[in-house]
Amino acid sequence: MNLAFQDIRHHLGRFVATSVVVGLLFAVVLAMSGIYQGLVDDATVLVHRVNADLWVVQQGTRGPFADPSRLDPSLELRVAAVPGVQSARAFTTQVLQRDRGGRQLRFALVGLSFPEDRGEELDVVQGHAIRQAHGELLADASLGVAIGERLRLGRDEYSVVGLTRQLLASGGDAVVFATGADAQAILADDSSDALIAERERRLARLRDTDLGRSQPALEGLVVDPRWTFPAVAAPPIHAVLVNAAPARLDEVRDTLARWSDVTVWTRAEEERLVLQGMVEKARMQLGVFAAILVITSSLLLAAVLYNLTLEKTHDVAVLKLLGARATRIMALVVEQAWATAILGYAVALALGSQAFPYFPRRVVLTETSVVGVGVLLLVVSTLASVAGVAYAIRVDPGPVLES
Amino acid sequence: MEALRAEGLEKRYGEGETEVWALRGVDLLLQSGKVVALLGPSGAGKSTLIKVLGLVTHADRGDLWMNGERVLEGGRPVADVGELRRSHLGFVFQKANLIPFLNARKNVEVACEIGERYSPGKRAAELLAYLGVGHRADAYPSMLSGGEQQRVAIARALANGPSLILADEPTAALDRDRGRAVMDLLRRVAHEQGTAVVVVTHDHRALDVFDATYEMEDGRLSGPNLAA
Ligand SMILES: Nc1ncnc2c1ncn2[C@@H]1O[C@H](COP(=O)(O)OP(=O)(O)O)[C@@H](O)[C@H]1O
Ligand SMILES: [Mg+2]
Repeated sequence: MNLAFQDIRHHLGRFVATSVVVGLLFAVVLAMSGIYQGLVDDATVLVHRVNADLWVVQQGTRGPFADPSRLDPSLELRVAAVPGVQSARAFTTQVLQRDRGGRQLRFALVGLSFPEDRGEELDVVQGHAIRQAHGELLADASLGVAIGERLRLGRDEYSVVGLTRQLLASGGDAVVFATGADAQAILADDSSDALIAERERRLARLRDTDLGRSQPALEGLVVDPRWTFPAVAAPPIHAVLVNAAPARLDEVRDTLARWSDVTVWTRAEEERLVLQGMVEKARMQLGVFAAILVITSSLLLAAVLYNLTLEKTHDVAVLKLLGARATRIMALVVEQAWATAILGYAVALALGSQAFPYFPRRVVLTETSVVGVGVLLLVVSTLASVAGVAYAIRVDPGPVLES
Repeated sequence: MEALRAEGLEKRYGEGETEVWALRGVDLLLQSGKVVALLGPSGAGKSTLIKVLGLVTHADRGDLWMNGERVLEGGRPVADVGELRRSHLGFVFQKANLIPFLNARKNVEVACEIGERYSPGKRAAELLAYLGVGHRADAYPSMLSGGEQQRVAIARALANGPSLILADEPTAALDRDRGRAVMDLLRRVAHEQGTAVVVVTHDHRALDVFDATYEMEDGRLSGPNLAA
């Protein structure tokens, strides 16, 4: 006869309630580790998906995400000419917020260097990659826009032609892709001070030229970033993404590193910069909180399980008078603790898989955290039952005779 | 047949000011198949004697034999206490002390499993029927009356065919008729199963069920007074 099973069956309601509470507690632990992992994943997903071997940014910066980085567009061609480079792509990124039907659309706009880069590698889950030089957008599904939807950005309307999934910028905002030229046009209309200043600079430079003075009508054109005007610098790009033949990657990197106007980061370095720059504090905060939660939950679980043993003092004493061996008494305590932990774990996993997709930020359950929480539950319940067993073994059967 | 022999049992609680001599040299000889009563005022040492005989409390001094086997020597156990409880001893308490999460049958079965002598299911059914609670086998302790609980407890004490049953005020929590019925059962157990039964009781109306009575006072035992 399995005494633990009999006890559980007789107190089924209490057992289930205890396990559900344990499950809830550890679902929160699971959520914390998932939110932590989600933050890390989200922060690096863009760097990951654009799949560049090297990130060439403005000299001395940790751009383009952690630091602003401004580069002359001509850099794209200079880099492309380096022996060993397979592709060089201009990259721009900027977080924008636009009102849309009373709802705030907040997203990171990334310019692709069309036509070489049409966003085909970004994992378009619905619709298609960018096909035309102007007017098409790829948006992340988390932005809540649909295929075919038209968005007014800057002076033009753009239509959403493709949706990506879980493609976020390091701040957690959905990423929207446009061709480089479109991105520049949209950014140019952004009211941010930097862009106003940039426009002012262009006008000033135009007015410095004879042509500008004689043809005031050109002023309308020169502030449109799609026009490059020989006398006026083109709008800056934020990075050049480089892919190189694997065998020549080091060589390319060494070459670029010698250039005085740029800094080169490998993909791993860029990921680390994003994590350090944008989420390090949040990450540490979450980590500390998760640790506190784990400790609290473990202590609570241990207390609950130990209490279950204390409640059995009388029954343990009776079993001893019947001559029960220590193993039978241990089994009663340990098996019940494990049963509680196992059902609690199942509840935590079930709850997690049902609820986490509805969280506003992504919750990523890695194998490590799922297994880790399971192991934690097993260890804590075992330790608690060791304490319980130590107590049960010392129970004096004497008082039972008289009580 | 001799089921138990005790010689010179001494037990002292506390020290100095609080020192109490609960047993002051108790000798006792119990025969198989006999039921004896242990009488005496509160504090006389009856429960202490039951606990020492049941190897629940250690005596300070004295010797004890069960079924001819030496169990206590100079107050110290010289046999496997667990094994003795499994195969030689049965306890009945004032409260039935059934395990609350097991039904009546399982309460007996668990004792059979622990004793490893009889097949639990069959033995439990037989014993519950023998004690007149066969129809309550599936009931949990909380659903049983006090008298029924006590009968299940006696069935459990009998589970492994013990040579000695120790009962400390088993009827104190029962009304007169139910108490009487339990005493009759204990007598029947002794006579039919050949078990030696010691019953601590205050109930002088039920003394006729006993083969002999012992009187305890201030840690000393006198008797036996054989039944008329
Ligand atoms: N655990 C104990 N610690 C100290 N004194 C005890 C303990 N158990 C019993 N006594 C004392 O030993 C004496 C005998 O007690 P007990 O055997 O319970 O008597 P009875 O069962 O006859 O009433 C009493 O004076 C009691 O106070
Ligand atoms: Mg007593």
